[in-house]
Amino acid sequence: MDWFRRNWRALSFVGGLIGVWAIVTALRLVDPIILPAPWNVARAVPGMLRERLFADIALTLGRVLAALLVACVFGIPVGLFLGYRQRAYKVVEGPLHALRSVPASALFPLFLIVAGVGETSIVALAAYPSLLVILVNAVSGAALANQRRLYQARLLNLNSWQTVSDVLFYEALPSIFDGIRTAVSYSLVLVVAVEMFIGLGERGLGRGIYLYQSSYRIPETYGAIMIAGTIGILLNWVVTKLQHHMLRWLPNVREEQ
Amino acid sequence: MSGPALSNRSALELEDIDFSYATRLNGINGALYKDFSLRIEQGSIVTIMGASGVGKSTLGRIMAGIVLPQKGIVRRSPDFTGPSDLVYVDQHPMNGVFPWQTVLENVRYPLEKLKWEGRERRDRICYLMTLFRLSPLSDVYPAQLSGGELQRLALSRCLSWKPKLVILDEPFSALDGKVKAEITSALHELALKDRMTLVLITHNVSDALALGMRCIIIAKRPVRVMSDLDFHLGFPREENTPDYDAMQQALINGIRDGLV
Repeated sequence: MDWFRRNWRALSFVGGLIGVWAIVTALRLVDPIILPAPWNVARAVPGMLRERLFADIALTLGRVLAALLVACVFGIPVGLFLGYRQRAYKVVEGPLHALRSVPASALFPLFLIVAGVGETSIVALAAYPSLLVILVNAVSGAALANQRRLYQARLLNLNSWQTVSDVLFYEALPSIFDGIRTAVSYSLVLVVAVEMFIGLGERGLGRGIYLYQSSYRIPETYGAIMIAGTIGILLNWVVTKLQHHMLRWLPNVREEQ
Repeated sequence: MSGPALSNRSALELEDIDFSYATRLNGINGALYKDFSLRIEQGSIVTIMGASGVGKSTLGRIMAGIVLPQKGIVRRSPDFTGPSDLVYVDQHPMNGVFPWQTVLENVRYPLEKLKWEGRERRDRICYLMTLFRLSPLSDVYPAQLSGGELQRLALSRCLSWKPKLVILDEPFSALDGKVKAEITSALHELALKDRMTLVLITHNVSDALALGMRCIIIAKRPVRVMSDLDFHLGFPREENTPDYDAMQQALINGIRDGLV
């Protein structure tokens, strides 16, 4: 009950949207080939899930999570180090921003040449912009760290590793989470898009959407798109929950310094 | 007179310090400090007083070695072995703690890093948590504390490893009288027990009278020592006694001299 009370705005928005959709299709204002009725889409979903989509969802999620893992494992420590050693950052700052300006999807052919047609290149492509955005956020978070707390690190004779892991990591964590949220949507967009182009074993959510569309199974196409959207919302929700948990100590007002 | 016995040895000496901020925010008569000298004796509790903006915090930060003077020498006692022996405690207590650590973790962390082991560490943590009445708040994060609780946490953290000289920048500014009295008595106990030298920076007469044995009034600019007073008062300080009123009057006169 509580859950409904807290989320009634979002729920009524979604409900309203489906209502308009139902009215539009019931009155035949739009050709059902272009926009099938919501109940037809809903009826198609269980069959799709059984047919292929469970496996597709698992595979796509696995690729997105693998990309995020790679991005975090490399992006966070390197970003924190660069934020800590500003002189090193000055050296790589230009090239880094140049790399960030190149659309990741434009690099896909290169990834195929280097890594070959396989899981590696899909994950690498999604990991690449995710890593950059997490890294840049970690750099700026660490660079904006509270100087008075870094003074404490010097007082206590912390070495570089301890300063980064015990102080800078937490100082930069709010900013790192901003990066991770952006990275989540980058990864999902890229994985789904790449799956449409190369269907390894004809699997993956993107491939599913593409195959339904190209065989004119329009209700299924809508269903698969909505499932992809739902996955995006769920991933974002998980990251938000994680963020609230890991930043539960954060002062509301940053009155320091 | 009570309080730790004065020794003739210095904890810290400033000699002919010149300091000015590069930005010249304060106008064209740039030099904040010029040929400024000061001696802090070991085991003393010294208050540095002056009006807002006179450069008290800057002086504290020069003493702590956080900012370097353009000219002159800051001499530390040879007893100070590591960087942790001289601590500057910021005006904002949130800067003095790690907000991602609970109260207990905040007190424990410095001791861990300074290699206090086993029983000694446990006893010290227990003593501080009791002295500053933090025990019921062990598992709370700093952001959830009240102003007074946070100040008590910041102090117990910075004093946990028995530093030899502690510079407290406006430690009572945001606190009511009752909390201030509690913190003052805890500080007094610690200073005696651990033979700490304390420097308190304040702009407030009653804060200056709460703990100090010596009060230095500074004024601008370039900053000079306007008066250097010794307080012959016991502890805890009783307000509205003839001795207290006399010291208060002396302080007020000293400040007035600084303004003209």
